[in-house]
Amino acid sequence: MVTKMDEQAKLEILKDILFPDDRGAVQDIAKRITLVEHIINDQKQLAEKVDPLVDEKISAFTKRIPDTLGPTITATLKKEIKNHKDEVVDALYPVLGKMVKKYVAQEIKMLSEKIDNQLGFLKRFKRKMRSWFGGPTEEQQLMRELSSATIEQVLLIERDTGILKASYSVTNTIDEEMISGMLTAIKSFVEDAFHKKNQNLELIQYELYNIHLQSFVTHYVAVVISGDYHLTSKNKLQDIIFNFYYNFMAMNLDLVFHSKDKEKQGKEVRTIDKDLLIKELEASFGNAKI
Amino acid sequence: MQKSKKVVILGHFGVGKTSLIRRFVSNQFSDQYKVTIGVHISKKVVDLSDEDSVSLILWDLEGTDRLEQIREAYLLGTHGVIFVFDINRPSTFQNLKRDLETVKSKVQDRPTVVIGNKKDLVPEEEISSLLEEHDIPYDYLTSAKTGETVEEAFLHLASILHHDS
Ligand SMILES: Nc1nc2c(ncn2[C@@H]2O[C@H](COP(=O)(O)OP(=O)(O)O)[C@@H](O)[C@H]2O)c(=O)[nH]1
Ligand SMILES: [Mg+2]
Repeated sequence: MVTKMDEQAKLEILKDILFPDDRGAVQDIAKRITLVEHIINDQKQLAEKVDPLVDEKISAFTKRIPDTLGPTITATLKKEIKNHKDEVVDALYPVLGKMVKKYVAQEIKMLSEKIDNQLGFLKRFKRKMRSWFGGPTEEQQLMRELSSATIEQVLLIERDTGILKASYSVTNTIDEEMISGMLTAIKSFVEDAFHKKNQNLELIQYELYNIHLQSFVTHYVAVVISGDYHLTSKNKLQDIIFNFYYNFMAMNLDLVFHSKDKEKQGKEVRTIDKDLLIKELEASFGNAKI
Repeated sequence: MQKSKKVVILGHFGVGKTSLIRRFVSNQFSDQYKVTIGVHISKKVVDLSDEDSVSLILWDLEGTDRLEQIREAYLLGTHGVIFVFDINRPSTFQNLKRDLETVKSKVQDRPTVVIGNKKDLVPEEEISSLLEEHDIPYDYLTSAKTGETVEEAFLHLASILHHDS
């Protein structure tokens, strides 16, 4: 067994032998790493700046609906929109969220690509080093870096009640209605206990699984993931969830408006056909690679 | 068609909330007292007729002697409430009317079934005078231990909730 000091010392020696003249490159990399750190910090601030912006956009949009769509929207529909503000915001949120996310992600990606190019040689070098010192073989490590996250289960859950609306799952597991209730209880507890009224619990780690929670206004989506779950997977997953939720809310809004006619007939029915919803879930998450 | 309903079980410490759920869901009882921490979720599908069933998602909250302290987040969207007191312990029902008002205000007047539990511990003839004396508005008297009237109480709420939607 090699102690940490030994490894460090050997690394220094090896580095001197292999890269006698890398001082410039290292400095360059260090500079870029600081830059990324700044950007990641800024991202937090950006999110703070962006959130109210999004809110503003939404309220501006809701206010403008009568102008832009005025001629086509009847008085009843206007009232419906007002009465179902949550649903309308819910339907718009994924679109705006995606736009903001794309913008930030693009910026970060460009930077990290540049850095990746610079750091590529260092990574290769680190892998070699590790296998020299009795760690996993180079191939094993490569495999490890490549092995990616898999979606095991997707639950669409009503936010307040924790009631399961629809689910998609690769293998049949324990009672999904109960899991939905429990996730909601955990989520409520965490969000309430830490007074994070405007922040949502996003990740629960449970044994070998990661459970990603994406919250919207009236519902949230829980995705159970096995395997390595990293930022790239999360990015892809969020896009899939946003797309799915946008479609789901579009169906929901149709129903909201549709229910007006049903009400006249004496019976208000406001449930999305469950089979349709399950199909939609399957289509969105079934073969998704994250 | 099957609907799902969120039901919250409320009441003071040790009145038998967890035991009642256990009796109703899996027909079991234990004398050991295990304090509920946080929330425990269970589920029972109730058949109301050949076509109709309701799936009750039961939220067993940790007991608080002050209802005001319940986390609001746990009560959001609740469809129905079961409020339990212990017939054997006046401290769990002497403020029942006020407790029920508090509950009502927290769950927007959702249907509530009031249960006096641990019936097996008090002689039949004492129960009525005891409850009358305190003017207690209960719906059912149950025993989680013997199972008496437990199912009736839950089924009653299930059918209210079914017609309610
Ligand atoms: N004799 C009797 N004991 C009961 C009954 N219900 C609950 N208990 C006992 O009362 C104690 C508290 O019950 P528990 O269900 O944990 O109360 P909770 O705090 O309201 O959840 C436990 O020791 C139970 O065994 C009942 O109907 N009869
Ligand atoms: Mg308990």
